[in-house]
Amino acid sequence: MRYHPLTILFRLWQFMKNHFVPGFVLFVIKGNSTFWLFEYGRYAFLFYASVHLIYIILNWFMTTYEFQDNQSFKLKKGIFVRQTSIIPFNRIQNVSQRTTLFHRIFGVTSLTFETAMDGVDDEIKFEVLTKKQASWLMDIVKRVEKNHTRLPETESKETIRIAEVHFSPSRRDLWKASFTSLSFLAVIPIAVSLYDKLEPFLPDPERYEGMFFQIINNIWLSIIIMIVAVCLFIVAGMFRTFVRYGKYEISSDDTHIYIKQGILNEVFFTIEKKKIQGLEMKQPLIKRLFGLAEVKLISSANSDFGDDSVQVNSLYPFLPMDQAVELIKKLLPSYSFDQEMVRLPKVSLLVKLLKPGWLWVIASLILYFFNPSIFDLHIPWWVWSVILLMIMMVNRFLDYYHTRYAISGDQVQWWHGGFTSRLFITRRKNVIEVGFTQSFLQRMFHLVSIQTKNRSTPVHIEGVADVPLSFARTFHQWYRERKKEVKVQ
Amino acid sequence: MDEKDLKHTISPHFIKVRLISEMITNIIGFIVLLILYWLDGYFQWPDWVGWILHILLILTILGTIWDLFEPKYLYRSWRYGLDPEYLYLSYGVIKKEWVTIPVTKIQSVSSTQGPLMKMYKLRSIKVETMGSSQTIPGLDEPTAFKLKEEIAEYAKLKEEES
Repeated sequence: MRYHPLTILFRLWQFMKNHFVPGFVLFVIKGNSTFWLFEYGRYAFLFYASVHLIYIILNWFMTTYEFQDNQSFKLKKGIFVRQTSIIPFNRIQNVSQRTTLFHRIFGVTSLTFETAMDGVDDEIKFEVLTKKQASWLMDIVKRVEKNHTRLPETESKETIRIAEVHFSPSRRDLWKASFTSLSFLAVIPIAVSLYDKLEPFLPDPERYEGMFFQIINNIWLSIIIMIVAVCLFIVAGMFRTFVRYGKYEISSDDTHIYIKQGILNEVFFTIEKKKIQGLEMKQPLIKRLFGLAEVKLISSANSDFGDDSVQVNSLYPFLPMDQAVELIKKLLPSYSFDQEMVRLPKVSLLVKLLKPGWLWVIASLILYFFNPSIFDLHIPWWVWSVILLMIMMVNRFLDYYHTRYAISGDQVQWWHGGFTSRLFITRRKNVIEVGFTQSFLQRMFHLVSIQTKNRSTPVHIEGVADVPLSFARTFHQWYRERKKEVKVQ
Repeated sequence: MDEKDLKHTISPHFIKVRLISEMITNIIGFIVLLILYWLDGYFQWPDWVGWILHILLILTILGTIWDLFEPKYLYRSWRYGLDPEYLYLSYGVIKKEWVTIPVTKIQSVSSTQGPLMKMYKLRSIKVETMGSSQTIPGLDEPTAFKLKEEIAEYAKLKEEES
């Protein structure tokens, strides 16, 4: 089977979107320029565009997919070098369905199956699909997943179960989110990049200078302008947040978790519960002040699209703390939160504070040699150095204060971090490697740092620093009993 | 994670091989520095280049002194162990490290031999997993081959995806 014919149009649209700026500059702004770079640039651009157009069409004709025994995808691609790859359904880690404005116009959608085969991330992407095809594809993949778990016949028969909705942000949640996310600061880079792009159109900046200084000189006027600018930022930030998280919904059934988000570009993300490698709860300083947290599902495939879109594997990133815990309990009942966590002994604080901070040393050296006047304040270099040292020490103290750890049953929890605190929970069988390190300083106080690795792309590394040696021994013993849960093929 | 639990050590020849190779690296480092000093004098580079060269020289000298003693202690610190479930490594002079890898998670095992190692009939074993790659340096050739075979045998089993 070939991909949906609209794929050609979609790729063309993408091409146009990505090459709009150079095209616009070449043909419109500098359309009359006889400068050789623009003159030949126009030909080169046309040539490149037509080659690309031919490539898109040929590529569509030459790429086919089929299903083998309802167990795997078989993809054939390549214009000159033919490449065939077979991807079993049970290798699929998560599925996301995205409906952008383009898809909306034609009443279609797109699907991405993320796989992680031996650490190499590759995906099966259907850029254009009818909605019917999409749900059919998701369905067969899901059915194979289910059969693979060897559930009793009775259960696998009722394939479409109505998922229970666990969370959908209220208007109040969204208001809170748009303030805490600081996403309105994102306006600044957009404004800067816009200015860069628009600069050729603007009249000579020198003509502005007189006016600019007039504004600066008039304090009242500049204050008003600042207030207006900040208001604009806030409004834009809210707009962004509402567009992103406005229609947000987390739901689940027995085997899968579903996340739906976005108003303009809709994303529907599906992951099988047992493919979740671990959970991460992150609290940057600002979110902590508001009592919010961000929960992320660690899965072995990378589901970051790399563009502007939010990471889909993160649950709603502005969850109130208690609600986050409740949500996880509902989504993943097999993870428990209730057991007691151990805190670090006092001696760990000493080691943390004594640890040499190379970054600070280097920063101080740079300050000493270059003695920059930061913000035009004439403050000697050592004051900056002391301020940096204090920030570092506060961060370390907070790290000591936040660090808690626990192992219970086959589950391990690390909680650590200074200004940004992180809680990580995983199961023994999902930890693919453990490591311990002990620096000279730690050895004097019988402390060890523990490191765990989990499957993800790239590998997810977690751990706690400066725990007592006795706990590290217990932890190692615990890890050695891993074989209990692991089934070998 | 106690070293006493791990029976195997690496070959004592490792000390000589490591010492020689470190010294070769250091000599090359000194030659490069010498050339840089000469260039500095010849082209009259700005002052700060001279300062950086002085710092580099001091660091290289200190590094060389350290490298004279390090191989012996590194050899003493190295321990490894293998059972049907796990590969254990332990090493480190100033900073001690222990690593435990389930053998089912090992993706490849290979052995390498440089010219110096060939003189002393040594081989190093490199184990790659999804998350990292670990090298056991300087094993006697027969030990190395045996270990490689053993790891490969145990690692043949794969865990059920879940």
